[in-house]
Amino acid sequence: MNASSSARPGRIAPSAAGYLMLLPALAVIVLLVIVPMLVIARDSFAISDPLGGNLGGFTLANYEKLIDPVYLKTLGYSLGMALLNAVVCTVVGYIVAYYIATRRASLQPVLLVLVIIPFLTDFLVRTFAWITLLGSGGPFISLLRALGVDAQSLVPSQLAVTLSLLYAFLPVAVFPIYAAMRSIDPSLKEAAADLGAGWWQTHARIFVPLSASGLASSVMLTFVPTLGVFVIPVLLGGGKDPLVGNLIVTLFTEFRNEPLGAALSMVVLILMLASVAGAGLLLRNGARRNRSLGKDA
Amino acid sequence: MNKKVLALGALTLASATVLAGCSAGGDASSTGAAGDGTLSIYAWAGEIPDSAIEGFEKETGITVTVDTFDSNETMISKLAAGNSGYDVVEPSQYAVQLMVDRDLVASIDQSKLEGFDNLAEKFVDPSFDPGNEHSIPWAWGTTGILYNEACTGAPVTGWKDMWNPAYTGKVYMLDNMLSAYIAGLQVNGLSATTTDEGDIEKATDSLLEQKAILGGYNSTNYADLVGTGDACIAEAYSGTTSATAVENNPDVKYIIPEEGGTLWTDSFSIVKGTANEDAAYQWLNYTLRPEVAALVTDDASLASTNEAALPLVADQSQVENPAIYAPAESLKNSEFIVDPGDALAFFQDGWTRVRAS
Repeated sequence: MNASSSARPGRIAPSAAGYLMLLPALAVIVLLVIVPMLVIARDSFAISDPLGGNLGGFTLANYEKLIDPVYLKTLGYSLGMALLNAVVCTVVGYIVAYYIATRRASLQPVLLVLVIIPFLTDFLVRTFAWITLLGSGGPFISLLRALGVDAQSLVPSQLAVTLSLLYAFLPVAVFPIYAAMRSIDPSLKEAAADLGAGWWQTHARIFVPLSASGLASSVMLTFVPTLGVFVIPVLLGGGKDPLVGNLIVTLFTEFRNEPLGAALSMVVLILMLASVAGAGLLLRNGARRNRSLGKDA
Repeated sequence: MNKKVLALGALTLASATVLAGCSAGGDASSTGAAGDGTLSIYAWAGEIPDSAIEGFEKETGITVTVDTFDSNETMISKLAAGNSGYDVVEPSQYAVQLMVDRDLVASIDQSKLEGFDNLAEKFVDPSFDPGNEHSIPWAWGTTGILYNEACTGAPVTGWKDMWNPAYTGKVYMLDNMLSAYIAGLQVNGLSATTTDEGDIEKATDSLLEQKAILGGYNSTNYADLVGTGDACIAEAYSGTTSATAVENNPDVKYIIPEEGGTLWTDSFSIVKGTANEDAAYQWLNYTLRPEVAALVTDDASLASTNEAALPLVADQSQVENPAIYAPAESLKNSEFIVDPGDALAFFQDGWTRVRAS
């Protein structure tokens, strides 16, 4: 362990020119990510005036206001939705990724492109498409009615929200899992079969543990952005249960309270960072365990 | 394709999804408009027809840039940030009050105006801007009810129908605090412009009670929902989308509730400190002409504030469409929704409770 962290064979020492070439990327990150975040962090401690102005100054009142059952409830609901979506996306993503990774090599890139194609359409257009698909005049309800079921429109419903969230984030789940699966030696599957492992055991003991890093990335990449979603719950969920993203929009616009909106944004940001850090720790532990497993074998 | 590339691809997709959600908000690129021969206008999306802009450019030789916004708050925060580069803005009535208070718009020199007499009476010296000192109304509309008679089975007459449990799951309210409170207040027989804490509390209770039968809160596609019957009855703004829904489906009706009516109007104001003041006045005078004002109905399906313009509207069926021009008798008791001032806090507390319940 120590040896590998101190001396890194094969690593090229960065030259001055190398650092210079990093500058544009650094500038972009500082200007477009770090600076806005600092502005939001600063605003979250500012005093607001009733006309919607930002008076500056320093107060903790914004954070105190957030300790209100109303905000806690919305935060809890959003975290629940994000977690549900992360799990659903990862499960479905696992199945899709496994299917793709086990096709013949020439077919795999085609299937991956097919997964991305819907993303070339605007996000709002795709969300509206779900309204048509699940609405009362749509194919799904028509089919149910043709079968004699007295079906009502599925929009708005929790199911519609869950489905369209899955649809919106599925590719994000498929890619990291596929990447992890590609490096699994296919002969492991044959070996498992030889040793009498069934379908379930092959996945539970071979494929899932070996693609753990991809599964963890998938959970993170779907969980974090779901916390920021605000259009889907309004269009497909009826907007009766706002997500934290809806609340932030309301605070910034209708409530004319930038500082309070900034404070809520900071809380969400911290929750996101905490979950990324948590997942990072889990991943590292998992990797260590895998390595020791490999040694045992 | 190695792992890093794939992960990067996934990350890009994830952020693209989130950003795409954001782009549903305002879309306006800033323009530098100092110097002669240009005019930069910041207006509501869909409220200034291209035909009006082209006519103005041809006549004056001034190059016009129009950026659009979809909420007053977006527009105000952009102007408040300073150096917006805009010469003329188009705030709604309560936004005029806010912008005057925040010193963002200039006083209009009435002596430089031509054609001000063309405005309909209710837009002259309005409650939100005494003496039209800071704003010249351009388009107007109402907040009312859009309903599908095939679904309700009977004519709808007022806000009380939006509390009728027979329509459970098919009632939609606008996803906007002050608009929702219009219904909440007027259904209790209270004024929509009240600032009394007790009144607002009563409205909050009504809105909380109503939530049980709501299909949802929606300011985006409620007209489609009413058109297809997925919604029986929805709180609605008059204007393009409601008018189209009424035109396309004979069962869809737009009414002003019997408990009272409310008006909104979007006006042109001159940005404080503009470098193109002359061009801004030319624009105001141009839009006060009846033949220009008629374009807002012909090409944008909105009601014009210009009385003299009404006979000049090419398609008179638009003037008769209640979802564009609400009938005069239904507006007898109507008032403008004005800025609630300090009472905003009561509305906010109530609305937060309603939304999170």
